[in-house]
Amino acid sequence: MGKPRAATAAADRTPSSDPSALMVEREIKDHLGLIAEMTRVFATSHDAHSVAASALERITVHVGAEAASLFLIDDDHETLACSACYGPVDITGMRISVNSGIVGRAVQRQEGQMVRDVRSDADFGNSIDVKTGFTTRSILVAPLSVGREALGAIEIVNKIGGDGLFIAEDLVLLETLARAAALAIHNFRLTDRLLQQERERHELELAAEIQRDLLPRPLDRDFPAHGLNIPARAVSGDFFDILPLPDGRIWFNVGDVSGKGMNAALLMAKTSSLFRCLAKSAEHPGQLLGAINSELCETNSHGMFVTMVGGLFDPKTGRVRLSNAGHEPPLLFHGAAQRFTAIPADAPPLGIAPGIAGPDGFPTVDLDLGGGSLYVFTDGLTEATTFGGGMLGIDGARALIRDHADEAPELRLKNIAGAVKLPGQSLRDDLTLLVVEDNLPLHTAVPPPVEDAVTTDGEIMRLRVPAQPDRLRLIRTSVEQAARFCNADNAWAADLVMAVDEACQNIIRHAYGSRGESGDIVIDFVRVGDAMEVHLMDFAAPVDPATVKPRDLGDVRPGGLGVHLIRSVCDDARFVAPPAGVGNLFKLTKRLGTKV
Amino acid sequence: MALDKRVVDGNAVVALSGDVDLQSSPAVRQQLLACFDTHNRVIVDLAGVTYIDSSGVASLVEAFQLARKKNGFFALVNVSAAVMRVLSLARLDKVFAIHPSVEAAVAAQG
Repeated sequence: MGKPRAATAAADRTPSSDPSALMVEREIKDHLGLIAEMTRVFATSHDAHSVAASALERITVHVGAEAASLFLIDDDHETLACSACYGPVDITGMRISVNSGIVGRAVQRQEGQMVRDVRSDADFGNSIDVKTGFTTRSILVAPLSVGREALGAIEIVNKIGGDGLFIAEDLVLLETLARAAALAIHNFRLTDRLLQQERERHELELAAEIQRDLLPRPLDRDFPAHGLNIPARAVSGDFFDILPLPDGRIWFNVGDVSGKGMNAALLMAKTSSLFRCLAKSAEHPGQLLGAINSELCETNSHGMFVTMVGGLFDPKTGRVRLSNAGHEPPLLFHGAAQRFTAIPADAPPLGIAPGIAGPDGFPTVDLDLGGGSLYVFTDGLTEATTFGGGMLGIDGARALIRDHADEAPELRLKNIAGAVKLPGQSLRDDLTLLVVEDNLPLHTAVPPPVEDAVTTDGEIMRLRVPAQPDRLRLIRTSVEQAARFCNADNAWAADLVMAVDEACQNIIRHAYGSRGESGDIVIDFVRVGDAMEVHLMDFAAPVDPATVKPRDLGDVRPGGLGVHLIRSVCDDARFVAPPAGVGNLFKLTKRLGTKV
Repeated sequence: MALDKRVVDGNAVVALSGDVDLQSSPAVRQQLLACFDTHNRVIVDLAGVTYIDSSGVASLVEAFQLARKKNGFFALVNVSAAVMRVLSLARLDKVFAIHPSVEAAVAAQG
């Protein structure tokens, strides 16, 4: 191999008369030429392996040695792997311990090693010689490092010619080249990482695009349903869908996958596809959510779940049938009356437990929008930070809905979202909003049912107890005795005991408990013809009967199941107008002799 | 309400007795969930339970869900007719693994 041209040309012009001085000078210039060239190659090449191989060849020839190899520290930080070599035997891929051998010593101490005769060095390991049949006599090693990060080492073996021994200048040269090589390796790795990041960013963009395509296209201004989704990151764990049926009815949903990032986005894609696919054959939202739950439970792992409100709206009647699986309660807003009604969750989130839905699926609620607007949203709205710095909360959400009620639906959703999204800043959580509007003139208003006057003619007994959990047992015993008094059998009595116990729990937990109040429960047991009536009175602030819904299955929240149990074992259970001075009056009716 | 814990073949067996109602269910819930800190298999023996309400059922549901999340085992044993009535009204009789005895629940793990 010829000497580097630049170095030779420079040496030729050097005026010097001393032959030995001339030789030294020429050698130095040769070295500088090699260093300059190698540095340039390292800096400009994009192919780490071919650069390493050719650099090793150049160094070996230049120093006048037999072989050279490049060892890089493996990801395990325990071994050094030969990633390139030059010489009579190919040891590429061979591994040695980072803690032993002369190469290991150079790496550990971060200093060059010159061993002129390996037989006199206790650290010399001959494992590679044994494997290859090569005989190592002398070794020159320079560590590779950038800053404090050790990358590996370059090793040159067996000097040829002269006395066959490496000299100090050889080590200086190798160390200089090693520094340039280390920088080059570092750069190659950085470039690789950047390329990988760029690929991932591109893939994320594609995922976000596919996800956007899963959301419905913007609809006509007059269409009764509109939605909006703003992801907190590139991809979203939230979703909504609006799916018009040929008969004019409209399926809609809003969902929120637990967690964020790519795994949430994938589950979102799966759930929204299931909704769209299964909606076409489902009869009502309870059945649909039940079916989605079964599908998700079959394959879902990693403890992820989805909260969802699914609904079917009939614009001809203004009625919505709704099922809420663990989702933030939707709000029905009547602008004329400035009144909100919340529709709480009747079922646990999807993907938690299979078989939890009854034969008719998840529980549903029938709602008459009555000219109002139904808002369904994710906690990205209620838990969003406002401009003032606090959390918006449900009251904040209500205020925004009220403030923007007169705007066209799409603009309204944008403005509501805009109130919590600071310009140029990303959200803390994905935000999704959907509105279903009853655009038709008010449908026939249903007059409030006229409640039966409560009669106390056949009073059996009256009980007045503090509304506290430790009195429930006392109440149960009293109910049992009242049932016995009416000659009821054990099963009948047990059912009534349960119904009254659950009703009292609701008074303790909700009527009084939600406001931190305390007070009494008054219970009247009344025989009315062939039925027993139980009147439960409290003295708390009135409960909105619309928020007390029967639940058809086990809700994860304690007490959520209670109303369902009451309805299951009683012939009738309802709030009736309370007499003056009474907060709420809940009336249970159970026919004697009826078995449920 | 009384609660007794023992270990049978690596299963935490929690025997409840008395009334599991709004008064006692918070403690039941806490004890059941705590079992999963040390055991992956939990059996609830309901032999002595005279009454269970919706809050008690909710505690069982919560423990059941935690077991599912942890790929563990959760079963109810010695379920009396009165308790079964509540579970079936709640439509949870098909959700829970219900066995006649602790031994049967252990055997069911194969």
